[in-house]
Amino acid sequence: MNSIKDLAFFQSLADYMNDHPDTFEILGEVDMTMGIIMFDPAGEDLRVCLPFEELGCASPTTMAAGQETGCDCWLEGDLAAWETMFKNIEAGDGATGRQTISSLTLVGEHIEVHGIDPMGIDRFFRFNQTVQQFFDGAGQLALSNS
Amino acid sequence: MALVEGHTERKLPTESSLGQPLDWEWLRGAKSEWGMKPTPSKRGLTMMDIAQGSYGVIEDHPKYRSMAPRGADIDDNTPDMGYILNHKSQVWAENVMELYEEAVARQWSSTRDIPWNELRELPSDIEHAMCQLCTVLTEIEMIATDLPAKWMWRMNHHFLEAKMFLSTQIMDEARHSDVFRKRALANGGGLLMSRSGTDSLLRSILEAKTYTQASALLHLLGEGFILDVFRQGELIAPTHVEKKIFRLAMQDEARHVAYGTMHIRQAIAADPDEAEEIHEALDHGEKLFLELGTSPTLSTALAVLLAGGVEHIEDKGFPMQDLLAKKIFTSYLARCERAGLNRIERTALPLEALGIDLNQFDQTGV
Repeated sequence: MNSIKDLAFFQSLADYMNDHPDTFEILGEVDMTMGIIMFDPAGEDLRVCLPFEELGCASPTTMAAGQETGCDCWLEGDLAAWETMFKNIEAGDGATGRQTISSLTLVGEHIEVHGIDPMGIDRFFRFNQTVQQFFDGAGQLALSNS
Repeated sequence: MALVEGHTERKLPTESSLGQPLDWEWLRGAKSEWGMKPTPSKRGLTMMDIAQGSYGVIEDHPKYRSMAPRGADIDDNTPDMGYILNHKSQVWAENVMELYEEAVARQWSSTRDIPWNELRELPSDIEHAMCQLCTVLTEIEMIATDLPAKWMWRMNHHFLEAKMFLSTQIMDEARHSDVFRKRALANGGGLLMSRSGTDSLLRSILEAKTYTQASALLHLLGEGFILDVFRQGELIAPTHVEKKIFRLAMQDEARHVAYGTMHIRQAIAADPDEAEEIHEALDHGEKLFLELGTSPTLSTALAVLLAGGVEHIEDKGFPMQDLLAKKIFTSYLARCERAGLNRIERTALPLEALGIDLNQFDQTGV
């Protein structure tokens, strides 16, 4: 499985979403561009743009610092916080307890939701179940790779 | 009337067999858009897809006050239905079609989609707190059904999509009342205390003088507050069953807030004087919501859930509640600013005590 610090990891999540429309259909279509920022203590931060549309996610791309402001909203946190979240997903076949993306961003100690426009941040709440299902795809990928 | 089919002219009868006059004008197609064919998007044929030509023109002041469909050939003597909300800015929001489609796509069922069978026995204090919270929520959610219903029949049918969106809100809120009532009863607990302060707040919203004032109180303030309570569901839900309830309800609530924010923005943009009326409503409403948020029953129930039980209420429950209150009112003030309202100078909310950093706001708006 790809490291979560690789764009390929997010491409795998997007592929999983695109290949399983039935899983996402019950949640409804999504129209949102969401950024992910992972701060790396080694200075190699990763910024990924996830363009969600309809029942899928078009190709994720990397962004330069500052380009996240072009997204409806973005989630940012230390690499360690993201690793903990994805490990939890892989262990439980989906996020549990306070490792759901909604929990993490609510407390905001490790991962925060940001946006230039409050309406963009509200999109994160409007499509929250789909975002969670997207991240939970990491659990399915881990299963298929094990 | 004669109907031409290919090279054949067919004479059509002018009277029915009972002697009633017959009208064949519709066979000619009354509007110039006849033949226009909208293209479905990937998700199907949406309201945005069919908003073409005159069908998609939302007039500021529609000519008629009837239920005649926008874009049809309408009789000049079509009856006046007594609508009082006849200006676009009184009901419209630029995102309303998108939100309607989103609402239709994201409906869920409290009966089918919540794994009720997976509820488990909880410590007594947690079960009581959850039941108390659900008692408040099932009570207050119906205001967001009653209020749009009160105003919808006074809205000009020209603004059909706004009425359709509000219909989805009514269904959403009925479902919220339903799901919190079910949760209160489902685990052997029950409905607990309903206190008069809650109903005073609800009456205040219901009695707003104008729809835009009502929308500011309901969508911007009230639902914004409840949206954040549902977000807290992630922290207060004792099991995955309640988590799912809160998450699904949160998505619904966020749509309602998105409509209200953009509706208020539209109303103020069309008439800046409208802002003062909205401010007045919010001056009053903020006090009432602060009272609700700090009410002895609701605040204690939330604190117990946040603390995971009464044992840690002082070292975990109340401090976490303070942190979340700061987030709730920060989000509210940001939405006000997006709606074109600058509440910073005006609000009676204890911003300093809440620890809200005012530098994060542009403090623009009316």
